Amino acid sequence: MDVQTANANVSRVPFFRFLNFEIRSLDNLHAEAEMTFDDRHIGNPVMEYYHGGIIASFMEATAAIAVQPDFADVPAKPINLTVDYLRPGVKGPLFARANVTRKGKRMASVSVITRQTDREKAVAEGLYHFLLV
Amino acid sequence: MSDITKKKMEQIAQMWNARGKGLITHMALEIEEVSSEGVRVRMPFNPDFCVDADQTLLHGGILTALLDSVFGLANFVAIEGVSTMATLDLRVDYLRPAYSRADVIVRAHCFRKTRHIAFNSGSVWFEGHENAEIARGTASFALTRGGTDLFDAMTKGKTS
Repeated sequence: MDVQTANANVSRVPFFRFLNFEIRSLDNLHAEAEMTFDDRHIGNPVMEYYHGGIIASFMEATAAIAVQPDFADVPAKPINLTVDYLRPGVKGPLFARANVTRKGKRMASVSVITRQTDREKAVAEGLYHFLLV
Repeated sequence: MSDITKKKMEQIAQMWNARGKGLITHMALEIEEVSSEGVRVRMPFNPDFCVDADQTLLHGGILTALLDSVFGLANFVAIEGVSTMATLDLRVDYLRPAYSRADVIVRAHCFRKTRHIAFNSGSVWFEGHENAEIARGTASFALTRGGTDLFDAMTKGKTS
């Protein structure tokens, strides 16, 4: 599936519009996305850091696209997730890269890493499971 | 046991409800109960948080965000003298599809606090369906103490 079609799918999902991100690259096992900072993403109003839940949501969305970019009605069904928060997400774009580590008939396991402008320093890492049936 | 004054509770509730920006404002969270034993918070239904065209199925991520926020609140009231608090890690199980337009209720508490770390757990369900949890989460938070109290920073800092 090409990036344009994937982004058309993304734009159909109300919560994905709320997150405000775009798919930047896509292949069988990976998806990369960029999210634009918005005041509604703030978790710490004093420091203006991203809300941890927004980072987790963005990673979940990118992981779901990596697993099933051609979803029909709703994105891939999430089972559970674990997120490791490594650094605060500061004002500015966030970049997520999702890597499908295993995709079977019923289950998929996806790891996601989120960075900002400094690509050496990860903001968060996540592990997501999806039910494919 | 509870060393939190009613006044502080009211201030916390007021602060949460009056924050000028950020996700919490968009979630329109309403604190229903708050004590050092735990907190209960309501999130009104919001179609922006859905994944389907009919806007009746909530995205899991918003439930994760909700748990993260409410864990923060639970720590805030359970632990005195915290100057900063950062989520270290978070695990969420999505127990059922979040299919409803009802308000979402979260109950969370801090089940262990040490000098540096707080441990939390919480449950999420649709109002009136407490026996059908839609998500359950656990998290740990890194705390720093001393310096400016987080409560003071939040209430006296730039909040709008």
